[in-house]
Amino acid sequence: MSKQSSNLNASRREFIKRAGLGTVGGAAALGGIAAPAAAQNAEPVVVGGPAPLTGAIAADGIEFKQGMEMAAEEINEVGGILGRPIQLAFADSESGGDDKVTSAGQRLIDRDGASVLISGYNLGSGTALQNVAADASVIYLHADTNRAHTEMVSTDPERYWQSFMYCPSELYYGFAYLDFIKTLADSGQFVGSNKKIALVTGPIPYSINIANSIRDEAAKYGFEISLYETVEAPTSDWGPTLAKIREDEPGYIVITHFFPGDQAQFMKQFLTNPTNSLVYLQYGASLAAFRDIAQEAANDVLYATNIGVLSGEIGSDFASRYLAKFGDKASPNGGAQTYEALHMYAQAAAIAGGVGEAYDDVQNKRIADVLRKMIYRGPTGAIRFDQKPQQAFSFPVQTNDPSLGMAHIFSQIETYEENGKIISPPPYNVIDFRKPHWISE
Amino acid sequence: MTNLSILKRHLLGCVLTVAFMAMLPLFITQRYFLGEIILFMIWASVAIQWNVLLGHAGVFSLGQMLFFAIGAYAVGMLGVHLDWSPWFSMPVGAVVAALAALVIGLACLRLKTAYVALLTFAIVFMVDSLIRTEVECFTTVGGRCLPFFGGGQGFFGFDDLGFRSMLKGKWIVGNYYVVLGAFAFSLVASILVIHGRLGLAFRALGDSQIYAAARGLNRTRFHIIAFVITAFFTGLTGAVYAAHFRFAGPSLFEFSNLVFILAMIVVGGLKSTWGPVFGAVLMMILVEFAKGWGDIQNTLIGVVLIIFVLLLPRGLAGATATLRSKLMTDSGTQDNLHAARADPRGAEQ
Repeated sequence: MSKQSSNLNASRREFIKRAGLGTVGGAAALGGIAAPAAAQNAEPVVVGGPAPLTGAIAADGIEFKQGMEMAAEEINEVGGILGRPIQLAFADSESGGDDKVTSAGQRLIDRDGASVLISGYNLGSGTALQNVAADASVIYLHADTNRAHTEMVSTDPERYWQSFMYCPSELYYGFAYLDFIKTLADSGQFVGSNKKIALVTGPIPYSINIANSIRDEAAKYGFEISLYETVEAPTSDWGPTLAKIREDEPGYIVITHFFPGDQAQFMKQFLTNPTNSLVYLQYGASLAAFRDIAQEAANDVLYATNIGVLSGEIGSDFASRYLAKFGDKASPNGGAQTYEALHMYAQAAAIAGGVGEAYDDVQNKRIADVLRKMIYRGPTGAIRFDQKPQQAFSFPVQTNDPSLGMAHIFSQIETYEENGKIISPPPYNVIDFRKPHWISE
Repeated sequence: MTNLSILKRHLLGCVLTVAFMAMLPLFITQRYFLGEIILFMIWASVAIQWNVLLGHAGVFSLGQMLFFAIGAYAVGMLGVHLDWSPWFSMPVGAVVAALAALVIGLACLRLKTAYVALLTFAIVFMVDSLIRTEVECFTTVGGRCLPFFGGGQGFFGFDDLGFRSMLKGKWIVGNYYVVLGAFAFSLVASILVIHGRLGLAFRALGDSQIYAAARGLNRTRFHIIAFVITAFFTGLTGAVYAAHFRFAGPSLFEFSNLVFILAMIVVGGLKSTWGPVFGAVLMMILVEFAKGWGDIQNTLIGVVLIIFVLLLPRGLAGATATLRSKLMTDSGTQDNLHAARADPRGAEQ
C-alpha cells in the first residue's frame, strides 16, 4: 500500500470516528447545528436503556450498556443533540418476563425522565416495551429480532408509531440457514454425511420460531429433520440430547437455543465423542462469552446473526475501538447494536429539530417520521426500515443491495482467541468455509 | 376479647388499609410508582393466600404459582383464542384455578409435609416444562406460530381492561382500582378464613390431629378446602396480573418468583394475619432500593431471609407482638400478656 493511500485510509478512519459512524452528515446533524441551539437549551437528554444486566442473558446486557456508553461519549464530544448532552440511565430487566421488562421501561421514563428507550433485546414476549413506549409516546428502538413486533406494529400503526426494530425478524434465519447449507453442498464446499438435520431449540420464542421455520422448510431444500428436541434454559447437561444425536447421526446439527454459556457447554460435551456433523449455533457463538467458556471447543463452529459487526472499514474501526475501550473479552457484536441505535436516534432527533420528552407525541412523531425515512450505515450494516412493520430490511433475504439492508451473516470461528470471521454473504465475507476439525470423513 | 371482636378488628383494619390504598392515586400520579404499587398488591395477595395455606392450614404446598399462572393463562388463552374480554375471563381464571386445585389436592393432600411440597413442586415443574417445550402450532397469528398453551412465548396483546380508551393517559389508575379490588377481596377472604370456623379447624388440626379427628375433623378434607379456597384467590390474582400486563407466559413459573413471595411470608411472619402484607411492603421497598445493584439484589433477598429465619423466625408480626408483650410487662398488664400468649392471633393486632 502506498503512503498516499495509507494516509487516505487513515483520514477516512478519522472521518468515520468523528462522524460517529460513517454516516455522511452525522456529525453535521449533531455538532454543526448544535452550536446555535446550545444557548437555547443545554438540559441533558436522558436516554433510557432497559437491559438484561443480570440473569441468563446478562452477557449481552452488559454489552448493550457499553455500546450506549461509547455512543453517548462520541455524541457528547461533538456537542450532544442540538447542544444537549446525552445522559444515560439504565434499568435492569433481570432477564425476566414482561413484568420485569415493563417495570424497567416505566422506571426509566417516570423516575429517570428518559426521552427515548433504546435496547438490544430483552426476554419476555417482546411486546412489553412497545406498550410502555406507546403509553408514554417515547421513541423505542430495539433489536428483539422478534416476529411479534412485526405483527404488532403492522396491525396497529396508530398505537405503535414510535416502536422500531432495527434488525430483521427471526423468521428469516430458517430458510437462510437451509439456503446456506444447500449452497455449501452445491458448491462442493461441504457435503454432509447424510441429509439429516438434528434440530435443538430452547424455550425462548426466538429459538422456537427459528427452529420451526427450519423444520417447516427443510423438505423443500432436500433435507429431513431427524431430531426435534427442546431443552430447558439454562441447560448445562447436554447428555440426553447428545445421546439422541449420536444414536441417529445427522449430517447437520442446529442449536437455536442461543444462550452463549449453554452453547459452549454443548460444544465441550459434543467434542468428547463427536459425530460427523456440521454444527451451527444460533447467535450465542457470536459473543465473546461463548469463546471464553468453550475455549478450543469453539474452533470451527458456525453461527449466524443478522445484526453482527461487518467486515470493512466501519465495522473494523468500531470493533477495534470497542475492544480498546472495554478490553479483549468484550463483544463488539453485542455493543454495536445499541451503539448504532443511539447514534441513529441522535441524528434523527437533530434532524427533526430536537428531542421530544416523554408524553410529547408531537415532537416524537417528527422523530419517528425521520427514522422511517433514514438509511443509516452502522457497524452491523445498513438500517432502513420497512415502513409498515418498522423493522429493518434484511440483506440478502429482502433486498439484493447490501447498502439497503442489514446483512444476514454466516461466520466461522477460526480460533477461539478471536471473533468469528464472516464466510457469507459477499461482499462481507473475509474467509472461506473450512471443514470442521472433528469431521473425519 | 371475643373471637367476634378480633374478627371485627381485623376487618376494620382491612377497611382502613383498602381506604388508604384507594386514596394513593390522588397523591401519586407517577405511572411507575402506581405500577410498583400494583405489583405490590399482586404479590401481597399471593403471599396472603399462601400464608393461609402454609401457615394456618399447615399444607406445605409449593404449587401456588401454578394456580397464579392458571388464572393468568385463562385470561391470556381466552383473550387470544376466543377474543374474550378480561372482564369475563378473570372470574373464569379463578374458578379454573380452584378446580385444578381440587384435582391436585385430591391427589396430593393425602400425603404430609415434605411429600406435599415435593409433589406440588413436581407438578409445577411438569406443567412449566410441558408449556415451554410445546412447539406445535395451534394457530398462526401474523406468520407467528402460536401453540395452544402459548409455548415459550406465552400470550400477549389481548384486550386490556378498557381503561386506555376511557381514561387515556390515566389508564393505569383504572387498572390500579381493579387490582385493589382483587387485593381487598383476597385480604377479606383470608381474614374470614383465619378467624372463622375454618381457621378454628386448622388450629385444632395443628394442635393435635388425633384429638381433632376424634372430634370429627377430617384433615384431608380441610386441607383440600384450604387448597381450593386459596387457589381461587391466587388464580384471581393471576388473572388480574394478566389483565394488567396483557401477558401470560411461562416466566410466571420461574423459581425466583416463588422465592420472592416466600421471602415476603417469612419476613412478614408465617401464621400471622397481616404479616404477608408487611412482608410484601418491606420486600418491595428492599428490591426497589436494590435496583441497579445487579446480582446483589438477589443476594440481598437471601441475606434478609437468613436474618429473619435466624433472628426473627416469627417475622415482623412476631417481632411486633414480642415488643408489645415487653411493653405490657413493663406496664404491669399481666392479664393482657396472658391473653396475648394464649392467643397468638391477638398478639399481632
